[in-house]
Amino acid sequence: MKAISVKNVEVNYYTIKEESFSKRVLKRIKKKKFTALTNISFEVEEGSVIGIVGSNGSGKSTLLRTIANIFAPDKGEINLYGNSINLLSLGTGFDPELTGYENIFLSGMLLGFSKKFIKSKLNDIIDFSELGEFIYNPIKTYSSGMYSKLAFAIMAFLDSDILLIDEVLSVGDIHFQEKSYNKMLELIKNKKRTVLIVSHTTSTIAELCNEVIWIDKGHIKEIGKTEEVLKNYRSFMKTLKR
Amino acid sequence: MREIIKNIKKYFPFIIYSTKSKLKSEVAGSYLNSLWWVLSPLCMMLIYMFVVVVVFKSKEPNLPVFVFIGLTLWDYFNRVLSSSPKLLKSNRNVVNKIYIPKYILLIIDTFVMLFKFFISLIIVLIFMIIFKIHFTFKMFYFIPIVIVLYLLTFGLSLIIMHYGVYFGDLHNIIRIILRFVFYFSGVFYNILLRVPEPFNKMLLTFNPIATLINESRNVLINNINPNFILIGIWFIISIILSIIGFRLIKKYENSYSKVM
Repeated sequence: MKAISVKNVEVNYYTIKEESFSKRVLKRIKKKKFTALTNISFEVEEGSVIGIVGSNGSGKSTLLRTIANIFAPDKGEINLYGNSINLLSLGTGFDPELTGYENIFLSGMLLGFSKKFIKSKLNDIIDFSELGEFIYNPIKTYSSGMYSKLAFAIMAFLDSDILLIDEVLSVGDIHFQEKSYNKMLELIKNKKRTVLIVSHTTSTIAELCNEVIWIDKGHIKEIGKTEEVLKNYRSFMKTLKR
Repeated sequence: MREIIKNIKKYFPFIIYSTKSKLKSEVAGSYLNSLWWVLSPLCMMLIYMFVVVVVFKSKEPNLPVFVFIGLTLWDYFNRVLSSSPKLLKSNRNVVNKIYIPKYILLIIDTFVMLFKFFISLIIVLIFMIIFKIHFTFKMFYFIPIVIVLYLLTFGLSLIIMHYGVYFGDLHNIIRIILRFVFYFSGVFYNILLRVPEPFNKMLLTFNPIATLINESRNVLINNINPNFILIGIWFIISIILSIIGFRLIKKYENSYSKVM
C-alpha cells in the first residue's frame, strides 16, 4: 500500500522578503524567483524507510516541509492517503511561562492529539524526560538540556503514521543521547511507520533506509536501492572536494 | 465554508487549551496573579473616569457606566486589531514547524481578548447596579451588538493579519489609524450631543465602533431600542469581510513560512 505519492512537485522562493510598503509602491521591484525544487516525483510504500541525501542547499529540507504541508507546492500534487504526518521538531508551540506539564498538553494538542490520548501517554513522557518534580516548574527555568529532554520525550511518544526527520536527533548528556538515539531508532524501525530521513551522515542512512533519494540542485539525481545510490553519492561528493 | 467549520471543530480543544495557557502565562510569575485580570481593567477605567470628570468636566448622567461601556467595547476592538499584523510572526515557532489553519491562531487571540472583554463587562454590570440602572428586557439586544463587534473585529483582523506577513509597516500604520478612530468613536463623550450636525450622524453611521458603542449605551442605559437596520448592515459587512479574509488566508497561508 502506498503512503506518500509526490507528483511533479515544484517549489519556488521569491528572493525579496519582507519589504516596506513605500518601496513596493514607488519602485515596483520585480521579484526574483528561485526554484528550490522542480519536477520531483516519487512514491513511498507504507512501512518503508527512505533516506534523502544531497549537498547543502539542494532542497532536502524544503522537500520535507512541503510534504508536511508547511509549504504548498507551486506546481504538482502530494497525496498522503489520509495518513497523519509530522515533521519532527523540538518544542513545537512551547510557552516558556508555563510548566512542563502544561506544555506537554499544549504541544500535543497542537500536533493534533486529543487530551485523552496525551493523558494516556503522560507517564511515559514524564518518565522518559527524567524531569521528575521539575515537570511542574515553568520551562523558562529549565536548563537547555532539560528543555530538549522534555521536547524530545513529547516528540517520541506523540508520533504519527508518517514521520519526517530532518537529521536524526540525539539530545542531552551522554547518557540521554544514547537513550534518545535508541528511542529514535525504535520509532524508525516500527514496521507500520513510514519514515523519511534527511541526513548528512551516510552511515546512518545506510543503516536505516531501504531506499535513498538523492537530490541535487532541486532535481532528483538518483533514486533506488540504498547501497547503489550511496556509492554514487559518495564518489560524487569526493569529486566536489577537489 | 464546511472545511472551516470542520477545522474549527477539529482544533477546538487546542483553541480552548491555548487560550487558557495564554491567559495563565500573561499573569504567571506575578504576585497578584489572576487578580490582575480584574485589577487591570478596573484601574484603566478609573483613570479614564478621572480624566473625564476632573479634566473635561463632563456632566453626562450615569457617567461611569457611560464611559465604561465605551471602553469595554473599544478595548476589545483595539487589542485584537493592533496585535493582528504581527500575529503570525509572533507565532513563528508554530507556523514554521507544523501545518495549522492560520485563522485558528487569530481565533485564539480573539478568545483571549474576549475573556478580558467579559471581565470588563462584569465590572460594567457592577457599576450599573451601583448606579441603580433599571434592568429591562431591551438589554438582551446587547447580545447581537456583541456578535457584530466580534465578527467585525475578526473579519478586519483576518485581512490585516494576511497583509502583515508581507508589509512590516502595517503594524505602525494600524496603530496610528486606531488612535485616530479612537477619538472619533465617542469612547468618553456623547457623539450625538458633542459633535455638530451633520457630522455626528455621519460618524454614528459610518464608523462601526461609534455605532456599536452608541447602540450599546442605548440598550443598556437609556432603555431605547437599537437601530436594527444599521446593526444589520454592519453585520452583513462583517460577514463579507470575514469571507474575504478566509479566502485570502486559504489561498496564501502555505506560503507565509517562506517569507518569515
